[in-house]
Amino acid sequence: MDYAIKLDNVSKSFELVREKSPSLKSALLSFRRRPTQKVLGLNGVTLTVAKGETVAVVGKNGSGKSTLLRVISKVYRPTSGTVEVHGRMSTMLALAAGFHPELTGRENIYFNGAILGLTAADLRDSIDRIIDFSELNDFIDSPVKTYSDGMLMRLGFSIAVETDPDILLIDEVLAVGDAEFQEKCYERIDAFKRAGRTILFVTHDLDNAAKVASRGIWLSAGQVRADGETAQVIAQYLNSLAHVHEAGEEGIARIQSGGG
Amino acid sequence: MADELRELFKYRYLLMQLVVRDIKVRYKNSLLGFFWSLANPLIQVATITVVIKYVMQMDIPNYSAYLLVGYLPWMFFQMALLDSSQVVLAHRDLLRKVYFPREVLPLSVVLANLVHYVLAMVVFFAYLLFYRFFLHGAPIALTALWLPVLMALQTALVIGLAFFISCLNVFYEDVKYLLTVLLNVFFYLTPVMYPAELVFRKLDALHLPVLYKLYMLVPMNALTNAYRKTLLPPFEALTIKGTPVASQPLDWSLVAGAGVICLLVAVAGYAFFNARKTVFAELV
Repeated sequence: MDYAIKLDNVSKSFELVREKSPSLKSALLSFRRRPTQKVLGLNGVTLTVAKGETVAVVGKNGSGKSTLLRVISKVYRPTSGTVEVHGRMSTMLALAAGFHPELTGRENIYFNGAILGLTAADLRDSIDRIIDFSELNDFIDSPVKTYSDGMLMRLGFSIAVETDPDILLIDEVLAVGDAEFQEKCYERIDAFKRAGRTILFVTHDLDNAAKVASRGIWLSAGQVRADGETAQVIAQYLNSLAHVHEAGEEGIARIQSGGG
Repeated sequence: MADELRELFKYRYLLMQLVVRDIKVRYKNSLLGFFWSLANPLIQVATITVVIKYVMQMDIPNYSAYLLVGYLPWMFFQMALLDSSQVVLAHRDLLRKVYFPREVLPLSVVLANLVHYVLAMVVFFAYLLFYRFFLHGAPIALTALWLPVLMALQTALVIGLAFFISCLNVFYEDVKYLLTVLLNVFFYLTPVMYPAELVFRKLDALHLPVLYKLYMLVPMNALTNAYRKTLLPPFEALTIKGTPVASQPLDWSLVAGAGVICLLVAVAGYAFFNARKTVFAELV
């Protein structure tokens, strides 16, 4: 049991055609179920993340990166395959999701921590560290509706990281905040790695991915296209983008020559 | 269901946070705070009393008290169910990002409304005591000790219905409109504004006393009647169309039957919700 996350042949399909706001009327009127088109968000993903690994997941929009994160964090139940997770997971919440604008920073720390499955006792232990790390001491008792996006990001990151999870999931949120605070985040992530904790993050920022992660996973159309040393995986990914780009340009050139 | 209850227990702190947040946010920016939640039923009861007593000129002694004792539980029922219809959609950002047992959402709105209801009942008792000692009203009967049991049964019923409604509203967004209509209809069908004896009188005259028993097994009918009988003295005989209508003692077997239904609704609602909660994140 030396792994933190293990996915075995995991697929997740979604129904593509779905009415925006389904109504009782349409449900009662359509006796026959209309055929719905299925889309595969993940298609037979098998991977194991060892304890202490830092993994960057890269890929184009719609390649299944966020779906992967959601399947791991139990937000989505996989259509087939199994997901096993060992240890307490923490998700760094995107800006607005975990905060209530009317409540103060301090109240939101308790609320946000509760969402992540912590108890009052856990949070009493860690609240001072969270506030210190966020550098929001002067604002912590003001409603968060007065905070800037950067301040919210700092609070969110501090909660996720200072509550000592075994596994940290991050979905494209590290890019916010000033350079100084970002540097502090990377330092904290390094300390996190040294403590043998596991990090899995999704990003479009390939420079950061190469800097932080020891392992890269490239997803394409819901499948793992490459898995290995971060720099190599990123190189392969960029290479494919270049090919697509060239193919695109050839196509444009062909259209232009054909039309002109 | 045992596994789900165990997980729910693990997340009890989140449930508490949601309840506290609901109450805090509702009153954060209003000076009068809790009194706003009292003002609504009191104004409603005062209005209905004026209409019944002075416009329709039906002389019922202490009508306000008999109305209020049915209206406060109804407010809890109505507000909790209306809130529950919106609660899953209102947390869509959270649902899509983090895992937590989804049932804390409907539970939290029911519990937040229960807090308001308990506070309203405290004020109601103050009102009864005021009547007792300053206006020579009737003493509060010992049967008032049943109140916590009745409130627990009603809470079980409301939780069960809130599970059904919050879940169905994810799949069909017009559930909330249907709910508003149904609550309006049931407000008049439930013996809130009138005593249950009038329903009995009508059904008895039609030689359908069995139908009255069925009517009294509908949980909110039985509970409204039970609140009234246990908290207030029997009303003085009313005269309707020349014949007197006497107050009847409470039939506890019907209350017990309705209580069992409350508990069954709670269990069925939880099972219904659990069977569907895993897809919420994909639908909201």
